[in-house]
Amino acid sequence: MLRLVIKKEFLTALRDIRLQVSGGILIILMLTAVFVGRQGQKQIQEERAKAQSVMYDKWLNQGNKHPHSAAHYGQFAFKPKPVLSFLDIGLDNYTGISVFLEAHKQNEILFSAAQDSNGMTRFGEMTAALILQVLLPLLIIFLTFNIFSKEREEGTLKLIHAQGLSMRQLFIGKVWGTYLMVLLIFLPTILLAYLLLDQQSASLDSGVTTKFLWLTSGYTIYFLVFVLLCVLISAFAKNSGFSLLTLLGIWITSCIILPKATSNLADKVYPTPSQFEFKKTIKNKVKKGIDGHNPSDVRLASLKKEVLDEYNVETIEELPVNWSGIAMQAGEEYTDQVYDAEFTKVENIFNLQNRLSEWVGFINPFLAVRHLSMALAGTDFHHHVAFAKAAENYRRGFVKKMNKDMEVNHKPGIAYGDYNVGGEMWSSIKPFNYTLPSTGSILSSQWRSIAALAFWLAGLLMLSFIYAPKISKL
Amino acid sequence: MLEAINLSKKYGEHKALIGLNLSVAPGEVFCLLGANGAGKTTTINLFMSFIKPTAGYIKVNDLEVNAQPQDTKKHLAYIPENLNLYSNLTGLENLQFFAGLGGEKPDKPSAEQLLQSVGLQSDAIHKRVAQYSKGMRQKVGIAIAKAKQADNLLLDEPTSGLDPQASNDFAQLLRDMGQNNVAILMATHDLFRAKESGTHIGIMKAGRLIHSLNSDEVTLTELEHLYLETMKSVSDVEISY
Repeated sequence: MLRLVIKKEFLTALRDIRLQVSGGILIILMLTAVFVGRQGQKQIQEERAKAQSVMYDKWLNQGNKHPHSAAHYGQFAFKPKPVLSFLDIGLDNYTGISVFLEAHKQNEILFSAAQDSNGMTRFGEMTAALILQVLLPLLIIFLTFNIFSKEREEGTLKLIHAQGLSMRQLFIGKVWGTYLMVLLIFLPTILLAYLLLDQQSASLDSGVTTKFLWLTSGYTIYFLVFVLLCVLISAFAKNSGFSLLTLLGIWITSCIILPKATSNLADKVYPTPSQFEFKKTIKNKVKKGIDGHNPSDVRLASLKKEVLDEYNVETIEELPVNWSGIAMQAGEEYTDQVYDAEFTKVENIFNLQNRLSEWVGFINPFLAVRHLSMALAGTDFHHHVAFAKAAENYRRGFVKKMNKDMEVNHKPGIAYGDYNVGGEMWSSIKPFNYTLPSTGSILSSQWRSIAALAFWLAGLLMLSFIYAPKISKL
Repeated sequence: MLEAINLSKKYGEHKALIGLNLSVAPGEVFCLLGANGAGKTTTINLFMSFIKPTAGYIKVNDLEVNAQPQDTKKHLAYIPENLNLYSNLTGLENLQFFAGLGGEKPDKPSAEQLLQSVGLQSDAIHKRVAQYSKGMRQKVGIAIAKAKQADNLLLDEPTSGLDPQASNDFAQLLRDMGQNNVAILMATHDLFRAKESGTHIGIMKAGRLIHSLNSDEVTLTELEHLYLETMKSVSDVEISY
């Protein structure tokens, strides 16, 4: 009997001209978003990989110079464009794509797409994620708003009941029939998206298939949640008009109002310092000391005393090593310490904001799937921070190496311009290589979103189980 | 066999049905007459367990409807007043769907034969129901009821809006089903069809069954007179059997 209902629901939906048109438009949009997105991702990734390689070549071929000059000559780190970002652009348009790495400074990651675009970027791009998270639920609403009320209004509900089908069986049949229709749109297009992945994708992210599967699973659960919610509301709505209004209200609230409100609330509850404040704090703390009572000149004098004591000499000139190299590395390390402390503070604030938004996933499944989708696509805040940290670690590594070489090899008494190193030293610094976070780390950071989706699914299944038999037949 | 024993239904303070007692034996066609709001549809809805009674019992083949609503459905076929069916499906698909729910899914040739047997033109069978007239939809409804092969049939104003020919065909079908030992309970406004098709006639008013008579006992004119008199009387109704 259940099969009959599923087949009937599927067939009637398939033959509905309004759904043929809206479903067709959605498939075209989805295919366009997937193809264009994938082409864009490939192109951007190739550009960034090429830029990374060109800049590294420049580093290798910078000629002979003093290691500290090389540390200022610097390098660039380009953020790889995550493979699955073609499905969900996430924050990618608003976060920078490259950072200049040099001695003494933690530069900003610059050149976000939004920076180079007009105001239209703020309206969001037509990505697969937008279609799946926002537009497909709208189609589900049109598929389901009168799924019960129309039957009630037209009397077929009575006839179905008279044939001996229980309301629970009918409910399950309608949910599966609608869900199959949704999967008919979703699965082929997402499968096609997977087929578009190539060798380059696997080399950029070895976990891409696992992430893709999780992403697909996340969306299939989200759609089931939405179908259950819509069918349940339709089953208890007084009439089709009321049902449509209620469902559209829920859609607007969950997809438009609540995400904005949540973001505003998070910003209000956990305010972030401006970039200017952040930099000013670091500058002050480096100058005056982390506790404010340990200024740079005092720290330098103390270091000098320590080094002179260590080598048992009276003056810098008597040292067997290069004092400037030691002092600069110590300065780097102190700045790093200050930077890490301040960066962690800001990161914690952003984490608290994100966590708040993730918790709101328990009252809004849209937010749950949005966070999960962005994370698996590699375009969320955590990925941006992971890249920023990797780039900063790389900077520290090569600057330290330059300072060490200076300390050990640039003997006192030799003029700055007279000590140079070359290709061998530059090639000892390996190119910047950023590995995207693993699926495991993404899933563990997204446990709230996964739990929220599971909560919604379990809750709605339970409500359906309890209330489906109580659906009125009249 | 259909039985109502002291059956009552209240909607808030409104008494839709008061102490109804009736029984329809196999082969009988019991026609319930009455104005709108008399309680005819409420009676049918109670037998179908679309609603629950406030008091009393309903039995279908000795099974109590409230205690075993799903089991009693196996013994009941039903045709509502406005049978809209699924407009995106053909008549054949509608029949196969509903008959399938009833546990009797006929194959394509049998379903086509069944639809033709209730008078649906063969060229209409494969057309979508959106193109059907009310009479055609009602014929599909009859086919659905017949396909179920239930021994009890409940009809709620089945002939309202049908043209005379379709209405006549319908009456013939009822007679045929009655002859096949099906117990039929029909709510209707149509005195002529009630007299013609029914073996028993009940006249309801304000939730009460006022008269219950054998259709052979009265002529159409007498029935019409009795009906109008019953509708006129305001109070002190006398229940006659």
